[in-house]
Amino acid sequence: MNSQTTKVLSLLVGAILIATLPFWAGDQYQLHLAALIAVYWILIAGLNLVVGFTGQLSIGHVGLLSIGSYTFAILAGKMGVDPTLSVFVSGLLGGLCGLALGLPSLRLPGFYFAMATMAFSMIVNEIVLAQVDLTGGGIGLPGPMFPKPFDSPIGFYYLVTAIALFVTWLTWNIARRMWGRAFISIRDNPVAAQAVGVPVFKAKLLAFVFSGITAGVSGAVFASLQSYITPDTFVFELSMFFFVCIIIGGRGSIIGPFLGTVVLTALPELVSPLAKLGNFFYGLLLLVVVLVVPEGIGRMFEIISERLRPRIVHREPITPDLNRLAKALKGHE
Amino acid sequence: MSVMPAELQAINISKQFGGLSALDQVSLTLRPGEVHGLIGPNGSGKTTLLNLLSGYYQPTSGSIKLGDEDLSLASVQRRAAVGVARTFQKPRLLPMLSVLENATLGAWSHSESGFVASAVSLPSVAREDKKFLDQTTELLHGVGLGHVIHRRANLLDHAEQRFLEIARGLAMRPSFILLDEPAGGLTTQEIEHLSQVIHTLRSSGIGVLLVEHHTDFVFRISDRVTTLNVGKMIKHGASDEVRTDPEVIRVYLGA
Amino acid sequence: MLTVIVTGLAIGMLYASIALVYNVMFSTSKVLSVTTGHLSMVGGVFGAYIISVLQMHWLWGLLGAVLAGATFGWLTDVLAIRRVLARSDEHLWLLSTLALATMVQQGVGLWWGTEPKPFPRLITQEFGAGLMDQKFWLPIGMAIVMTIGLEFFYRKTMYGKVFIAMSEDAFAARARGVSTDKIRLLSYVLSGALGGLAGFAAGQLTFAFFALGHTLTLLGFIALAVGGLGSNIGALIGGAALGLLNSFASYYFGGEYQQTIAVGLLMVVLLIKPEGLLGAKNVRPV
Repeated sequence: MNSQTTKVLSLLVGAILIATLPFWAGDQYQLHLAALIAVYWILIAGLNLVVGFTGQLSIGHVGLLSIGSYTFAILAGKMGVDPTLSVFVSGLLGGLCGLALGLPSLRLPGFYFAMATMAFSMIVNEIVLAQVDLTGGGIGLPGPMFPKPFDSPIGFYYLVTAIALFVTWLTWNIARRMWGRAFISIRDNPVAAQAVGVPVFKAKLLAFVFSGITAGVSGAVFASLQSYITPDTFVFELSMFFFVCIIIGGRGSIIGPFLGTVVLTALPELVSPLAKLGNFFYGLLLLVVVLVVPEGIGRMFEIISERLRPRIVHREPITPDLNRLAKALKGHE
Repeated sequence: MSVMPAELQAINISKQFGGLSALDQVSLTLRPGEVHGLIGPNGSGKTTLLNLLSGYYQPTSGSIKLGDEDLSLASVQRRAAVGVARTFQKPRLLPMLSVLENATLGAWSHSESGFVASAVSLPSVAREDKKFLDQTTELLHGVGLGHVIHRRANLLDHAEQRFLEIARGLAMRPSFILLDEPAGGLTTQEIEHLSQVIHTLRSSGIGVLLVEHHTDFVFRISDRVTTLNVGKMIKHGASDEVRTDPEVIRVYLGA
Repeated sequence: MLTVIVTGLAIGMLYASIALVYNVMFSTSKVLSVTTGHLSMVGGVFGAYIISVLQMHWLWGLLGAVLAGATFGWLTDVLAIRRVLARSDEHLWLLSTLALATMVQQGVGLWWGTEPKPFPRLITQEFGAGLMDQKFWLPIGMAIVMTIGLEFFYRKTMYGKVFIAMSEDAFAARARGVSTDKIRLLSYVLSGALGGLAGFAAGQLTFAFFALGHTLTLLGFIALAVGGLGSNIGALIGGAALGLLNSFASYYFGGEYQQTIAVGLLMVVLLIKPEGLLGAKNVRPV
């Protein structure tokens, strides 16, 4: 019960910090950073179901982000469509593209799938560059603002935080119930998943389409936050970044990748030598984590606390309670 | 429910891998409420037959039927849905989840919670999940794993892993459960507990297929036994009959 | 028209060489490494550095490219593969090679700069040499030499035969006393050298550019998948097909949709024949 109370307390504290952030954050820059974390997390929370839960190593989600951003910029910017509606359309289109990408490639084995997603993001980039009339080509497009009260930095922060919290709630609901177990079974033991009746391909596709929707929505608000997007904004390294946040935070968890996102977004901003190293740092971090604690840094804390507080594992013999078993089996009819 | 409880049947099954004949015209009937032993030396085709029954292989000829339904080409998932559960020779568990979570996975086929409904946490989803967790808790206590319900699966010892797989299979509410060498690596005491559990399954009306090497164990708790050798059926029938059959004795005590 | 064909073949043979490198690494480790394209990038960059910046003879540049590639291959095994293969999680090597590839690409970018720099001429030749320009026949020749060399290696040398034994059944090979760790390391060093060589030969086509790595990993993979994992002839065919398709697409549609067309090819082949044109049907690429 004690660890339970600690968890609830820390969530409460976190919630209060997040809700009041604009008032204690140092300056506009830090507020902008917080909003960026929220925007990234919208995508990463969805991608988490794909990478962290079903174990599909998608390294092309920057392509879906790009689709979301450009859809929003074109609809709300060029065509003057209502921004809120545009966000919905961006999400929808992201989901559709996720479906189009996932259908042929989710059947492929690991490396093939990863390459297919990488190729997808390169194709998106090519098309964006080529369709100059639509996307402005190499020059890019401005990212429109939202109507009042979300046009101020504080208002926008609350908008994206609300969306991020909603998406987090959705993924948390999935993760802790039957679908979460089914996803993890696909990741860790697909033969067992089949044996209990999990529709492996359909489940992978569901997670992937969901991640496409969140990527689309994230793209829309990302365009608004950046206020100007060009093809150079959407480089492969951004896909790597999303991916690394999840792996470092730990697969199979929601809070882990969230903390990973916070740390990895904020770190280069706060520690400027790291900013220069840029993606080298992410690569190094990923390598270290994979070699030393593949289950993620969250797990590393667990391992350390287990070492400090050795719990003697009591080995008790297996003693069936046959009456209880018979009752349980009968109760199934 | 139905007048005649459905049987799980392998009818004249042959299975070839390339040029290699793993099974040749083997038939086997698994009845509800009955323990059916399947024994044979290494390479006799026992695991192949089990894989055919559970859907990991398709027969080269012959058919698999559950009652009237032809399952020969049915997917593994379909067989799970119609009530055919199995365990594996090397337990296939999810190492990062708890015992309870692992076992509750077995209830998947009975879940009516769609993806979207789960995402928005409809009350029906919460209710269903609680029901599954409660039922699985009872099953886990029943097979003797009550003391490790919240332990992470990768911290279990071998015997606990085996019993967990059985609990997961039972969470599927199966009509039939196919056990792939469940006694492997168990102590005498644990094998005794396993027998008791299997006995209880039998009284509950579940049909149990027991693929095993421990022939004493099999003959002791099975109602009927089928013996295979190099892909062919040697003898099948009541446990005592098969145990004393001269051909069976020759295969096991001979070369 | 002939230019289109020759250009396509030339770049296609670079992709084919990378597919060959994939095959060598895969034979002993059953791993498809993300670093494969980067081996060529490193070969090209180091070759350009030695010849253009250090002003040395091109033979030194060649040696440098080979050594750089071999070292990188060695690093790949030691850092990204060895410890990871010991664990049972299948996809960890994908993560570790991705991490290493990113580190090397960014590292080279920081040192060499982010602009593509021209790769020097190896033999004095006019720039208007047309079809006989060395930038075409160098990569084509290199791919052919590599394929023949590998065939000879596999058929006639002891180590080559051990590679084949390992690729068919690593467990049995180990049981026969083969030090699979050492052989794998050797295969990674060899494939690194080959990758560096290929990048060096194609340098005049691709320029010395740090960002080539991921692109070549992908395109070399497409050549591999189309031709069939495990087949060197398939690698040549796949590479040629990809290069020619790119070249013709550029000529007729203006080069804007190169990647789209390349991946289109891949998807079509994988959907019809997942094991590739000449791939073995039971080869299960993880």
